[in-house]
Amino acid sequence: MPGADKEADLTERIEAFLADLKRGGCGTGPIRGSGETARETTALLRKVTAQARWSSAGDLMEIIRKEGRRMTAAQPSETTVGNMVLRVLKIIREEYARSRGSSEETDQQESLHKLLTSGGLSEENFRQHFVHLKANVIEAINELLTELEGTTDNIAMQALEHIHSNEVIMTVGRSRTVEAFLKDAARKRKFHVIVAECAPFCQGHEMATNLSKASIETTVIADAAIFAVMSRVNKVIIGTQTVLANGGLRAVNGTHTVALAARHHSTPLIVCAPMFKLSPQVLYGQFLRPHGLVFALTCTILSKVNVHCPVFDYVPPELITLFISNIGGNAPSYIYRLMSELYHPEDHDL
Amino acid sequence: MLQIYTSGATSGSFRGGKQKKGNVTSEQEEEEQPLQAVLVADSFNRRFFPISKDQPRALLPLGNVAMIDYTLEFLTSTGVQETFVFCCWMSNKIKDHLLKSKWCRPTSPNVVHIITSDLYRSLGDVLRDVDAKNLVRNDFILVYGDVVSNIDVSQALQEHRHRRKVDKNISVMTMVFKESSPGHKTRCEEDDVIVAMDSKSKRVLHYQKTQGLKKLQFPMNIFQHGSDEFEIRHDLLDCHISICSPQVAELFTDNFDYQTRNDFVRGILVNEEILGNQIHLYVTQDGYGARVSNLQMYDSVSLDMVRRWVYPLTPEANFTDQQGQGCTHSRHNVYRGAEVSLGHGSQMEENVLIGRDTSIGANCHISNSVIGNNCTIGDNVVLDRAHMWNNVHVSSNVEIHQSVVCDGAVVKEAVRLNKQCVLAYNVVIGPNLSLPEGTVVSMHHPEEEEEDDDDEFLSDDQEVGHSKDKTRQKAFNPAEVGPEGKGYIWKASMNDTEDEELAQCLWGLVLNPDPESDSESEASEESQDRTFQLEVLGTLQRGLEENIVCDNLVLEINSLKYAYNITLKEVMQILTRVVLEYPFQQQGTQLTTLQYTGSLLPLLKTWSPVFKNYIKRAQDHLDCLSAVEELFLEQDTHQTAMVKVLMKMYQLEILEEEAILKWFSTGATNDKSRQLRKNQGVMRRMSLWRKESEEDESSEEGECGR
Repeated sequence: MPGADKEADLTERIEAFLADLKRGGCGTGPIRGSGETARETTALLRKVTAQARWSSAGDLMEIIRKEGRRMTAAQPSETTVGNMVLRVLKIIREEYARSRGSSEETDQQESLHKLLTSGGLSEENFRQHFVHLKANVIEAINELLTELEGTTDNIAMQALEHIHSNEVIMTVGRSRTVEAFLKDAARKRKFHVIVAECAPFCQGHEMATNLSKASIETTVIADAAIFAVMSRVNKVIIGTQTVLANGGLRAVNGTHTVALAARHHSTPLIVCAPMFKLSPQVLYGQFLRPHGLVFALTCTILSKVNVHCPVFDYVPPELITLFISNIGGNAPSYIYRLMSELYHPEDHDL
Repeated sequence: MLQIYTSGATSGSFRGGKQKKGNVTSEQEEEEQPLQAVLVADSFNRRFFPISKDQPRALLPLGNVAMIDYTLEFLTSTGVQETFVFCCWMSNKIKDHLLKSKWCRPTSPNVVHIITSDLYRSLGDVLRDVDAKNLVRNDFILVYGDVVSNIDVSQALQEHRHRRKVDKNISVMTMVFKESSPGHKTRCEEDDVIVAMDSKSKRVLHYQKTQGLKKLQFPMNIFQHGSDEFEIRHDLLDCHISICSPQVAELFTDNFDYQTRNDFVRGILVNEEILGNQIHLYVTQDGYGARVSNLQMYDSVSLDMVRRWVYPLTPEANFTDQQGQGCTHSRHNVYRGAEVSLGHGSQMEENVLIGRDTSIGANCHISNSVIGNNCTIGDNVVLDRAHMWNNVHVSSNVEIHQSVVCDGAVVKEAVRLNKQCVLAYNVVIGPNLSLPEGTVVSMHHPEEEEEDDDDEFLSDDQEVGHSKDKTRQKAFNPAEVGPEGKGYIWKASMNDTEDEELAQCLWGLVLNPDPESDSESEASEESQDRTFQLEVLGTLQRGLEENIVCDNLVLEINSLKYAYNITLKEVMQILTRVVLEYPFQQQGTQLTTLQYTGSLLPLLKTWSPVFKNYIKRAQDHLDCLSAVEELFLEQDTHQTAMVKVLMKMYQLEILEEEAILKWFSTGATNDKSRQLRKNQGVMRRMSLWRKESEEDESSEEGECGR
């Protein structure tokens, strides 16, 4: 029976993806950038849409939500997965509304009146069956995929607007987006990049190697030297793991140091973050996440030592000057707006 | 996907199937063959007794997840596609567990085959069976079911394959080691190894377990072997992960005496020149790999897991995909499962893992502990390094330090478990009791264990039936387990006949590096010397009682010498010692010097022919004298007797004058012996002796006459 075959194939794909996610972030699994994860998630959700059994948009959303919950639970630190699930849910809502004939655009506008009256028009409205819904949703997801593929290029294209000749730029750790951004600017301008190494994993070293290969003048500094060097820096350009709903960042450890130093010296801090990194989560206060660490400590009193290795810093929105996403530059205060455009408010908790 | 084979009945048809499959695969490229692994879900020792009496070791929970799941996850994440799980002890339980787990779901990327047999007695048996059934077609990974690791062995695998391609299958095994300096907590002292290896080719030249020795010996030939760079490393932790080529199974078949991997490694190294097989090693710096070989290791691995050293195999990852196993991770490595309730004022200090549906009372203090599912803990409880499994009930005012509390155990009011206690399944302890350090309590009576000691590999149900009958017969001792307690105390030192290496010791051997015995060989020799000494004593005793002629005594001692492989020099020294100690042996140590000499001198006379038989060359005389000296250094109250003894020996012509003089002038090796000589006033007597000896000589000459 081809249907059963398809479903078995689908569950197998999902299981494999989940296992990969769980093993991600350490040496044993394939290490991927978040862009790749986002693409894979979307492709998988497209497969779910195409192969799972559903008759109405409500069913489909239920299925996607269920799988989405499992995927986000598999690797909580990788927020892109959840973001993509939300994006797909939003797509389904839009397509459903379009098939029904009403335009979702009006719903976009939030108003006090709408907040008061809403709540009634939820799931049961998605029970109607449309023949073309599946094709339309898949089409829309395909568009999303194309958008995802172009994000890095879109961001890199804006590089010349921000980087000028003979500037000194600081970055921290390794970010593929920032790397592409700097390389793009280097085609036309000459500038100097200072990379903080980001111990103990020292991703900064790799970043510096890649940049110098593209014949950009590059210097690696220790994390402790960030403040000392900051006075020479014209601009700080960093990547991030997640952009939070309040405009704050969850970024690699050491970013907060850089941001504070930049603020002290009034150096502009620019964050290169593609749209898929926007997450509806809000975090309060210091976000510290002691993560697993594969760290060779040669120490005989190791049994009495507790080793913590936080992987992410929370950077409050006040310290950030500008976000550069694939759709242009935005101030941190505008992030909530982008968020409501990207995701449907009812989906925020999966 | 799951296939179950039982050895014997199905093996014929099974092999047929495999061959067919083999043909298909041979058509494909070699590279595309799936990576296989052999997982031995049995330890073949009894380190975890009596816990492992109810549950096989591979299923014991570590961080609320069965140990075998860690091993399978490790294998799967390194890309193993086919795993053969070999079980023996309580194979049904392991089978049930695996059938329920995610490994047997059809979507699992790692196909698990379970092979059970009650006949496996060692790793050797398993690998011989692997060979007999022709299970492996290519290089495979060999692990035990209690290995916890996140090491990426694909690099090691690549190196192994490369070596095999280049060197035409000379390398048969690559052992995976992790770098960790001595003193590291996860270094199991029993498994402490010292490895000599070729730095370039990573070839193992020498492999030895240190076993707490201070002095080690390396065969010279390893240094003369062509290569110019060597490393001798003691900073390696054996992860018990090895990458084997199919030849390994064949070699185990060829050498039926190989029982463990250790035997195998030694055998290969010894026979390297004959068979041309080599063993290599792979050293990783990051990654974590350890085998839970005893409770000490269990304790440290469990803590390491909670401290996230085994990332991504952390508790909150829920890699087994079980419903409801998930937990949250917060600061200071505190993990909480679903529905955990924590009383007012209770503190979870750090490194704490609490399973689902567990409730904890007020004012508790918990640190470095793992608590299983469905436990209840009362008020004012202190837990430090406690490992509690599922359904444990702990009443108020209990203190538990570094102990293991198994499923269903009940700890009543005001009980204190000191370090390294073990409460096995369903034991009840207390109230108002303090268990001393290292107490092991089990529902199984130790004696019942002794009775069916030999059939360790009985099937479960039979065993359980037995034990139930017996538990009813024997009453619990309230002094040991408390007024309401249920369980029997197990003595750690019980069953000393079973294994020389203290297989019973749950918490692992405490190897106190013994300054006296410097090396393994010496240690064993010492014990040999000891038995030889006792034998000689016995012989002499008998000789005295039954009036045996001295020639026959010599004959007997000579045969003993060959039996124990003792050198002539040692024979002489031991003989001297035995004779000199003889009065002590017979009449107790509190003899006065006078009594001592009185009983010794006749003995010397009786046995002088025996002495003369052994003391012939000048060197022998000196050796004998040093033995005499040594003994009197020990018995310092009787030092004055020494002169008399020496004199007698001289008179009996056991010792020669020159030898005594020479010994006296040169022999002073340390302060104490110098002191001895001074006290003796030997100098003073020396002149006396001379005179006497001259007289003797003249009289002797007169006697001999001719």
